[in-house]
Amino acid sequence: MGNPVTTLRRTAEEFKTKDAKDKKRYIVDGILNNALYILMLIFVIYTAIERPNFLTLGSLANLITQVAAYLPLALGIGGCIVLTGTDLSAGRVVGLTAAIAGVFLQKADFANKMFSSLPEVNLFWILATMLIVVAIGAVVGLVNGFFVAKFSLHPFIVTLSTQLITYGIILWFFSLNGNNGQPISGLSAEYKNFVGGTMFRLGGVSVPWYVLYAILLTALMWFIWNKTTFGKNMFAVGSNAEAARVSGVNVFWTTVLVHTLAGAMYGYSGFIEGVRSGSVAASTGLNAECDAIAACVIGGVSFVGGTGKISGIILGVVVLRLIFVALTMLGVDSSSLYIIKGAIILCACSLDMRKYLVKK
Amino acid sequence: MKKIIALALVLVMALSLVACGGSGSSSGSSSGSGTKISVFWYDESDVYLSSVRDALNKELDALDGIEYDNQFAANDQSKQLDQIKTAVAGGAKMLVVNQVTSGAADTAEDILAAAGDIPVIFFNRAIGTDGSDLPVLEGNSTACFIGTDAPEAGHMQGKMIGDYLVEHYDEVDVNGDGVISYAMMKGDEANIEAIYRTQYGVEDANAVLTAAGKPALQYFDASNPDCYQVDQSGAWSAAAAKEYMDTNFVTYNEASGNMIELVICNNDGMAEGVIASLQEKGYNKEGAHVVPVFGVDATDNAKALIAEGAMTGTVKQDAQGMAAAIAQTVNAIAGGKTPADALASLSDDRFTIASDCATKLYVAYAPYTGE
Repeated sequence: MGNPVTTLRRTAEEFKTKDAKDKKRYIVDGILNNALYILMLIFVIYTAIERPNFLTLGSLANLITQVAAYLPLALGIGGCIVLTGTDLSAGRVVGLTAAIAGVFLQKADFANKMFSSLPEVNLFWILATMLIVVAIGAVVGLVNGFFVAKFSLHPFIVTLSTQLITYGIILWFFSLNGNNGQPISGLSAEYKNFVGGTMFRLGGVSVPWYVLYAILLTALMWFIWNKTTFGKNMFAVGSNAEAARVSGVNVFWTTVLVHTLAGAMYGYSGFIEGVRSGSVAASTGLNAECDAIAACVIGGVSFVGGTGKISGIILGVVVLRLIFVALTMLGVDSSSLYIIKGAIILCACSLDMRKYLVKK
Repeated sequence: MKKIIALALVLVMALSLVACGGSGSSSGSSSGSGTKISVFWYDESDVYLSSVRDALNKELDALDGIEYDNQFAANDQSKQLDQIKTAVAGGAKMLVVNQVTSGAADTAEDILAAAGDIPVIFFNRAIGTDGSDLPVLEGNSTACFIGTDAPEAGHMQGKMIGDYLVEHYDEVDVNGDGVISYAMMKGDEANIEAIYRTQYGVEDANAVLTAAGKPALQYFDASNPDCYQVDQSGAWSAAAAKEYMDTNFVTYNEASGNMIELVICNNDGMAEGVIASLQEKGYNKEGAHVVPVFGVDATDNAKALIAEGAMTGTVKQDAQGMAAAIAQTVNAIAGGKTPADALASLSDDRFTIASDCATKLYVAYAPYTGE
């Protein structure tokens, strides 16, 4: 790429040498390829004019916090989409791991504590719990990956099955020890602070610690996707599994590990989810995968397979959260919110596919 | 050609954004510079809450200087907290919250923390069970709760069932074994109102039956220790109730002599589902045997079913009363009162302040078996 200024100058010079028809095509293509960002910009400007509070530091903090909460799930599911698959079990895994983390880290003196003989909540036990729920998520992912890779089943079918199984386990878990399906609350202050405590304030609004964790996880995922053999293998398998196999990539283990990594990310999402909603109910995490998949496809992680960038996923999550925050501030009713979300996903994917159709 | 299609898509998207943005700026505001309040609902599709919303929108429209919007959380507590934080960042001056996870006092505390100094009126879904809501309400002078006394609907439903059965015992007892076998449809495993209704709907009916010298109700499926069937999605839905009833019929029917003779439902939506199933099998129609079905809420549909004789009774959860209580409280707080003073200033015999807490207002239930 080089110096952006030189690149820009070169583009400008190239543009001058084109004839009128090419110039027109260049501009139309440019608008179409960036339509989503142009629309978002218009949308942000409109919202800012209607609701001046939209462009304040407090509002930015709110947006960042929401992005950080939704990002890990999308990062996990992104890998499955790169393999031309999907993962429907994500939301329920979040629900299960949120419930387990919640129960492990309940206040010692809480009246409705589900299990009384747990270790005292301290930093060590919080970290241990985090590792345990990440491991539980990874196990579900491992099961997904195994069935996908071993029996060449479509991930849609495998993850639909594990979604149901996981929900069954959640319902069973919630009725343990006379809990009778009651929401799990009374989360300990240490756990709440570790996840949702104030890292710093921006415009008077607290930015919680999980924003930092999301940044660290994003960096880790960027490294895995771009700098490791495993990451390169993942893209190879995604674009053409047969070609990857011939060139010596272990397709089985790559598929299994991508799903396991995704599961681990769901486990982490579950770990912060309980704190975010203050309590965990059996319905926690319901449909969470939909937003994550939507964010990935908006960000250009294509179901065609083999393409996708971490930066795209971040952008996708930001776009979705931006729509949510802006429409909430505008007081738009939720029926329109769904319509807009649907329209954006449809347009983003159509524009994305357009690139491939043009190439062909 | 491809480009034209792509452009058309982009235009559609742009239009939808602009159209919705446009409706947003004009929605629900009577005056531009009024007190801005946001109303948060746990889900958009709840039948009873839709009638509350309808009434509440009318009440709020009639108030001067109040600008409001409605937000829906699609049964997702995290989403609701995000909506609340966004509304606070957007300059809302009062929050009216129908908390998603009922019975979680910690979540209520989180909502209050997000709201800061802004008054919060919780309504409908209880913020705590068995007194765990009291520390929240007493510890936060900006908070109040408007709802119903959770066990009351169950007690009322149970008594209504008992009274009905005492009068119509032999008619209801289809197989003539002297015992009435019942089915129970529970709306949500974790909802405190659902839990109380499931418990008291049967207990109180049994109390009336025992007092009249009749045997207690018997759950139709002896192998189910829970003695209820629950909507696993927690949506109190007619669809779930109908599916259960359809399945029950395969084993438990008149031909086998073990017919379900009474159906108790946590709400009217589920009662509708049960009745749809019964009608498919030839019951609860004109000229056919009517299996008594009881619900709670007195929705318009349920009232119509009761009028045509397909349903037996329901408990009126007063949607207008609930809306009036919220609107009057909003108005009083906007006028500078504290939540406690605002509740105390309401004078309406439909409302009573809870005996254990000055910032908790109950809207009364009433039995309903037809006009």
